[in-house]
Amino acid sequence: MRIETCYFCSSRVYPGHGIQFVRNDCKIFRFCRSKCHAAFKKKKNPRKTKWTKAYRKTAGKELSIDPSFEFEKRRNVPLKYNRELWTKTIEAMKKVEEIRQRRSNNYIMQRLRQGREVEWQRDVREVQRDISLIKSPAAGLKQRQALEATEMEVEPETIEVVDAKGRKQIIEAPVMVPATGELIEEGGDIEL
Amino acid sequence: MTYKRKKYHCGDTHLKKRWRVRNRKKDLDEIDQDLKEENAEKLLNQKVDLDLPGAAQHYCLHCARYFIDEQALNDHFKTKVHKRRLKALELEPYTIEESERAAGHGSFKTATKRKIVSQNIEKSQTDEDGDAILEESPNKKKKIDDNDI
Repeated sequence: MRIETCYFCSSRVYPGHGIQFVRNDCKIFRFCRSKCHAAFKKKKNPRKTKWTKAYRKTAGKELSIDPSFEFEKRRNVPLKYNRELWTKTIEAMKKVEEIRQRRSNNYIMQRLRQGREVEWQRDVREVQRDISLIKSPAAGLKQRQALEATEMEVEPETIEVVDAKGRKQIIEAPVMVPATGELIEEGGDIEL
Repeated sequence: MTYKRKKYHCGDTHLKKRWRVRNRKKDLDEIDQDLKEENAEKLLNQKVDLDLPGAAQHYCLHCARYFIDEQALNDHFKTKVHKRRLKALELEPYTIEESERAAGHGSFKTATKRKIVSQNIEKSQTDEDGDAILEESPNKKKKIDDNDI
């Protein structure tokens, strides 16, 4: 008994189910149900139809490249019957299937986790951008004023100036208020 | 309702006729096989077959169509149908093997994009290379003329 694969959705086709179409170059197209057959007749592309395996694998929704897929494969190599080999294969099939399932489930979980991370980053960015919507403009105003006041009491800078006669002089640089651009005299109190 | 949805069941005879098996044209994966060099050569240099349009002398590889003469073939290369077909062939077509790979029988390979060019460019190159092809084509035409007479 051979379990075939559907041409369109890549699901299993059990004996007595589905329909097959033989093209005039002897290629056999097997379909699991009328849904897949109808889609084929309408020349739908399985890679672009969201419910097929081909779509899920090309779009990276499911694990597609893995050594565990290499066991079940059409090899076209004749094998002599050997009871020992047969029993071993049956044992191995169970184990392989278990590993394959675990890996593909893990792949999906990893994929979803990435989405969670992106979501979190987006939330952080949104809060940073729109913080003004929830924060009062007066919040922390007094502390900020106090901080600015202390900053203003910085010692005036000194500049080396060379005279026209070539003498060096050290002059205190005039303090500039950035907003107004007015010069502030030395010792003058700054009123804010 | 969009036209597409409207035309699925009621009054879809024109679509049903196109989907009939007897009206089947070559599929994309068959054409992909034809594009291989050894097959392409055979298809482009076919024997005179009077049952086919233009005695099977003017064949478009990508659209799998026969044309009546050189002019019609060259005009066809400029059409939207042909350009759409080139675009569709850019990605490797879906095959039975791929459906099996998608089912987990062997590792899945994502289809790669290729560059597909109309055959007339290739043809002109071969013409430049060897004069033999140039000499052959008038002979073929003569044969057709003889047959017609």
